[in-house]
Amino acid sequence: MKILVCLKQVPAKDAPLKLNQAATWIREDVSFETNEPDAFALEAALRLKEAHGGEVVALTLGPARAAQVLREALAKGADRAIHLDAGEAAAGAPPLDAFAIAEAVSRAIAGESYDLILTGLQSDDAGYGQTGVILAELLGAPHATIIMQVEPAGERRIKVKRELESGNFQFVEMPTPAVLTIQSGINKLRYATLMGIKQAKNKPLARMTLEEIGASAGLNRQLVHRLFVPSKSKGTTLISGSAKEQAAALVAHLRNDAHVI
Amino acid sequence: MADSVQHPEMEAEVVIVGGGPAGLACALHLARLYAAQGRSAENILLLEKGRALGAHQLSGAVMDPRGLRALEPEFASDPELGAIPVEDDALFLLSPDHALRSPVTPPPLHNHGNYVVSLNRLAQWLGAKVEAAGVSVFPATAGRELLWENDKLIGVRTDDKGVGRDGRPKSNFEPGYDLFAPVVVLAEGPRGSLTKQLLARCALGGANPQVYSLGVKEVWELPANRFPAGRVYHTLGWPIPPELYGGGWIYGLGGNRVSLGLMTALEYADPATDPHNLFQQFKTHPWMRALLAGGELVRFGAKTTPMGGWYALPPLAGNHWLLLGDAAGFVNSQRLKGIHLALESGRLAAEAIFAGALARYPESVRASWMHEELWPVRNFHQGFEHGLFAGLANAALQMATGGRGLHERYPSVPGHERMRTITTLGDPPPRLTPDGALTFDKVTDVYHSGTRHEEDQPSHLLIADTDICNRRCTFEYGNPCQNFCPAHVYEMVFDEHGAKQLHLNPSNCVHCKTCDIADPYQIITWVPPEGGGGPSYDGM
Repeated sequence: MKILVCLKQVPAKDAPLKLNQAATWIREDVSFETNEPDAFALEAALRLKEAHGGEVVALTLGPARAAQVLREALAKGADRAIHLDAGEAAAGAPPLDAFAIAEAVSRAIAGESYDLILTGLQSDDAGYGQTGVILAELLGAPHATIIMQVEPAGERRIKVKRELESGNFQFVEMPTPAVLTIQSGINKLRYATLMGIKQAKNKPLARMTLEEIGASAGLNRQLVHRLFVPSKSKGTTLISGSAKEQAAALVAHLRNDAHVI
Repeated sequence: MADSVQHPEMEAEVVIVGGGPAGLACALHLARLYAAQGRSAENILLLEKGRALGAHQLSGAVMDPRGLRALEPEFASDPELGAIPVEDDALFLLSPDHALRSPVTPPPLHNHGNYVVSLNRLAQWLGAKVEAAGVSVFPATAGRELLWENDKLIGVRTDDKGVGRDGRPKSNFEPGYDLFAPVVVLAEGPRGSLTKQLLARCALGGANPQVYSLGVKEVWELPANRFPAGRVYHTLGWPIPPELYGGGWIYGLGGNRVSLGLMTALEYADPATDPHNLFQQFKTHPWMRALLAGGELVRFGAKTTPMGGWYALPPLAGNHWLLLGDAAGFVNSQRLKGIHLALESGRLAAEAIFAGALARYPESVRASWMHEELWPVRNFHQGFEHGLFAGLANAALQMATGGRGLHERYPSVPGHERMRTITTLGDPPPRLTPDGALTFDKVTDVYHSGTRHEEDQPSHLLIADTDICNRRCTFEYGNPCQNFCPAHVYEMVFDEHGAKQLHLNPSNCVHCKTCDIADPYQIITWVPPEGGGGPSYDGM
């Protein structure tokens, strides 16, 4: 199987975030890491390759620093990588939205035939949950979301397990090529070994710029006008009175103010 | 488990443990010496326990350019590094209510010609050059153990990955590598865990024991034009008690940001001393309060610094090993600077490795400006053992006598031996309750350090006997671990019988090593957690 894994570099989970001056995005003076669901997508791809053979290609779109997620993917066992270099965004320039990213990826991989394209079900930063789905549409391929398990099911077919609400699952057989968006936590992520890190240096890492494929923020269909930091409003109310009065006051509070009963 | 595991092996020419200024300078210079001969640098291995180069690098920092210039003469003009020339410096003496600007800045604190830098950024900047030079850099990889063949050091074992809290391998277990090399360079920073193993095994040390200070730092963003880039202020006095060595700093970083912090010597008598809380008090000084009004906390970090000076240096080279930078103890405690010395120690070590003669390294240090700079201040820190005023008097005397003072070597004792039991002391020092705006508790500050660890792993703080903590220490010292740890790793909680019991929060650890240093019983051993864990000191 030839598998493409789309990985995004996002601000590290514990990075203390601040908004930029225009409050349209965060300030990017933080550490970055591989988007967590994407890391699980990579792991799923590597396991498919180990079990059934094939090739794993890692792809990311982002500035120069984003190549780090590719180096890590190569160190973990991806065979080659593609960096869609978005350059350094001008201050205040909007990040690409899900449509623009999907469009750029579809143009970058035109001419290559993948059996599977895996990506995380959403990014930890923008959280669109749309990029994989739109990419499937642009490629004219079927897709399935929130995938927990993938296995081959005969010639050009796979069987996938989807997570539904309240502990229910759906099993679907579908044709390939297909785009799957992978749920976090479905497997145990491997560590890059020292030998893997050393060998990664000699694996092919292709770079193309957005201009080269004719993509830009001009493709965006969505504009972030303003971000807000949620204001913390934690208050403690002490209810006094007899136990009976306290219970009544508490019920009234839960019903009328908190709206939970 | 350790016995049954097969460790993959890798042969190397040099293994460097630690990607700080010393380790990176060594790697870079050696790779360039190799390149001049057409040799590949890929068998120079550099281990860094942080998740990326720079992640654990924390300093004030005002840098003397001497060390960096020898490696990168044009560093000052590189916007990627963003070194800011010092424009203005001053020393302030603080009483609880007043800040008195010293009419003259003492010569050791003259900083014209120096640069305000972010050590995190410096490590990333040097690291990119090291990688480009072909060195094999392994981030998120800790040196866990030294490998010996009798008395000969033959390599380093890296950390196992994927070990659960119960010590058992998880499904993604990856054993550490055995890296074999004829040269092992320890550049781990202050109180390195392998350095500690090495010195203990070989029974080595300096003429004086090493002593340390803990620096607690925050970066703040201030209203525009409040504190210019390149301004360097140091403070002495409040809230550091007069009998203790320490002081504060405020450096203008540009972009409306300032670095501020407080150094407290880990040599205090009162176990209730809390360097993090002292730093919070420091910010409530009227002068500081005015400076910080309208500002906002951006980052936090804490790190120890070796202060013992020349007489606390252990042997710098031995049977196939070298000690560099803070791991050796190269800090000028009078000027509060060590980055330049770390860089130069790395460069000199690379020369010796390249020449195939490790013993040349200590010789070249002795013949270099490092010795020239450190020798006259060899007794500086010891002079402060009776507090600030005695220290200043001693410093003056030493300046007049070329560093000698009243006798050749002023002795010192390890800081933890100065701690006194609570029954011999009066009231504990005042504590401040943080307000969440100007002053912060440890947990809030740790959040601003970007610290993260894999939760499901064994504790990396090895306590030889917790009975000592729960029974003896509670009564003798009142569990000072809760106070000296700046990251709330140590906590005494009540068990179901109402007895106090030690509870650890290893995930909070910012890798400052204070516990390993300051514990009065010396039963805490800091070992590296799974590689990649720890703070993320962006821009610090």
